[in-house]
Amino acid sequence: MKKIILSLFAIASLLISCSSDDDGPDLIITELEAPATYTFARNGETTVSYSGQTTRILMGQEFVSALKDPSKTEAQLDGMFAHVEGNADFSDADLNTSSKSIRSKVAASSDFFAANTTDATAIKNDFDTWIANQVNDVFPRWDEDASAGVAGQIQEAGGGSIRYINAQGLEYNQAINKSLIGALMTDQLLNNYLSPAVLDAGGNVVDNNAETVAEGKNYTTMEHKWDEAFGYLYGTDDALNPALNQDSFLNKYLSRVEGDSDYQGIALSLYNAFKLGRAAIVANDYVVRDEQADIIKNEISKMIAIRAIYYLEQGRIVRSTGDNGGAFHDLSEGFGFIYSLQFTRKTGSNAPYFTKTEVDEYITQLMAGNGFWDVTDATLEAMSAEIANRFDLTIAQAGS
Amino acid sequence: MKKIVLSLFAIAMFVTCTESDDIGESVGTSDDFNRQAMLTNWADNIIIPAIQDLSLDLETLSTDKDAFLAAPNQATLDAVRVSWLEAYKTWQYVEMFNIGKAEELNYAFQMNIYPTNSSDIKSNITSGTYDLASVNNNDAVGFPAVDYMLYALSNSDTEILEIYTSASNFDAYKTYLSDLVNQMQSLTTTVLNDWTSNYRTIFVNSTANTATSSANKLTNDFIFYYEKGLRANKFGIPAGVFSTTPFNDKVEAFYNKEVSKVLALTALEATQDFFNGKSYNSLATGESFNSYLTYLNTIRQGEDLSALINNQFNTAESKIKLLSNSFSLQVDTENIKMLEAYDELQRAVVLLKVDMIQAMNISIDYVDADGD
Repeated sequence: MKKIILSLFAIASLLISCSSDDDGPDLIITELEAPATYTFARNGETTVSYSGQTTRILMGQEFVSALKDPSKTEAQLDGMFAHVEGNADFSDADLNTSSKSIRSKVAASSDFFAANTTDATAIKNDFDTWIANQVNDVFPRWDEDASAGVAGQIQEAGGGSIRYINAQGLEYNQAINKSLIGALMTDQLLNNYLSPAVLDAGGNVVDNNAETVAEGKNYTTMEHKWDEAFGYLYGTDDALNPALNQDSFLNKYLSRVEGDSDYQGIALSLYNAFKLGRAAIVANDYVVRDEQADIIKNEISKMIAIRAIYYLEQGRIVRSTGDNGGAFHDLSEGFGFIYSLQFTRKTGSNAPYFTKTEVDEYITQLMAGNGFWDVTDATLEAMSAEIANRFDLTIAQAGS
Repeated sequence: MKKIVLSLFAIAMFVTCTESDDIGESVGTSDDFNRQAMLTNWADNIIIPAIQDLSLDLETLSTDKDAFLAAPNQATLDAVRVSWLEAYKTWQYVEMFNIGKAEELNYAFQMNIYPTNSSDIKSNITSGTYDLASVNNNDAVGFPAVDYMLYALSNSDTEILEIYTSASNFDAYKTYLSDLVNQMQSLTTTVLNDWTSNYRTIFVNSTANTATSSANKLTNDFIFYYEKGLRANKFGIPAGVFSTTPFNDKVEAFYNKEVSKVLALTALEATQDFFNGKSYNSLATGESFNSYLTYLNTIRQGEDLSALINNQFNTAESKIKLLSNSFSLQVDTENIKMLEAYDELQRAVVLLKVDMIQAMNISIDYVDADGD
């Protein structure tokens, strides 16, 4: 019963926020008050901790930059992708001493992959293959011009940036960067840390109700799991006042989607949901917690779809002007966001919006023959339309 | 039951949320302004005469270039530099018309991308095999590449002349300079011929208010040019507005060192003239953004929008006039003045891109670059 009332209140407040004038006092949505910022303390000390997520984001930053350095060997790039504690893989010494690795958390969520190592392995292998191909196919052609079926460099029109592409026009560095947004950040965030299976695992609920903190820590395990979700979005940002665009992953693309007037407000909606969900854990209110988790799952899934549509549309339009360099760059980013669709999460289900099979089919269509050089406008338009349709988005809003 | 109620709410929400969103969605003209008169004035009195003049200027440049290559000396070098500058000034009246054949050929990308890439130019000269129309060469052709070829091949005029006379591969330098000028001339002829033989009729008869109609497209071209070609390229980028530090080498006509200001002022004048519908070859004015806005009687802050925009152009002009002839020098010595000029130019962007197009019920068709 409580849940229904909450939903009605939520709708009422949404309705009011859509109308232009803001009259009347603020509605009190629940008895549960979220703090003004993502600040939580016990005995005067913070209980918020997500350094592991910050570390992985920083590793990702160095890794995706290195993918554009043709002096790097495959072993060096593999070392950055699958870091082993103590190895000097990174320029940042703190990263080298870390026990974390990017690869170990790719396609590794509890909900989607704990019992599906087949797909998890295939996805990790995709990344390994892209790294190998970048080194073996693209690096040797770094200073040569690309053409249909031939890897090399291509410049964007108007004296723009130089892009480095494979024989199908794909920039592996973009494909890897944008695919990681799905396979690492989104998968861990939505399908692992916000999952009741993780939040409530073992004695988490009992411990949280009793405020039994994790050994040697100031937080309960459940609190920490929620913070780890928060860290994949805000790990390099200011938790108290997010500036956005502080990494090359989810945080950056939240900034992009927020910057599209059609979706303005998504950043606040996410931040509020993270705060309220965390406050609900402190208050032992797991219904509100899961409602906030659903909001986060919805919004982040939608972000991925919006960017996939955006780059498909822009790539198609830019290609029609004869600017292959600009178009292939857009389509390479689109490739990664499409790949990331398989890690989105439909609320009320244990499924993504697009299955791995569907995503693989899209990738096959994009890369068939000479790939971006000859994929038809109709194919790109059909993909945009299917994604928009599945997410209840419009191409007009997402595509510009 | 709950589900049904929720759905109804959801529909109500959808309606509420979309209602405010239909501004700028252009369907059919909402006024009786004579768009065809405006299009005709644009085509016959501004666009075609400007391209004709550019074509003549490039012919002179080509003649002077031939004389220079036949006998490279200080006098012939000076002559080709003079005609390069004349044509470059006229180009400022043409760059904004990225429509028809110009759009199809990416004409502006082949005429005025700066900074030019001197290492691409050198490698083209060395290899001797190049396609100047290739997208890869956008930053190795046009006025900026000729600027490099006439001013920057060495430190003194004497040494530059030696490169065209006695350097080991002097013929390759001559060929590249010649090819550059010929390509600019040939592109301009193509664009001009298309206007006079074919496109003018299409242009002036496309009078509807849809995304692909002439007035809508050219309005977008005009605002895009003002925002990117004029405001960002000539001022914002060198002044470091979009970066952490200024770039003294990203100014227009960098190698000449003395004309970035005159080119920028010319561009602003061309912009204002087009806004006011002033003929290219005379003081006469015809139907234009100015008269359209007057017709729509758009009032803002008690003044009409046309006057506000003209005032803002004038303010920007007065700020630009305070700058050094060399924007490189200006950026190095007192960048704050570049930023002040940029700010005044930016104020007109808001008037054009928001107020003017809303008054005319035209949508912006371009998105700001993603930037990565």
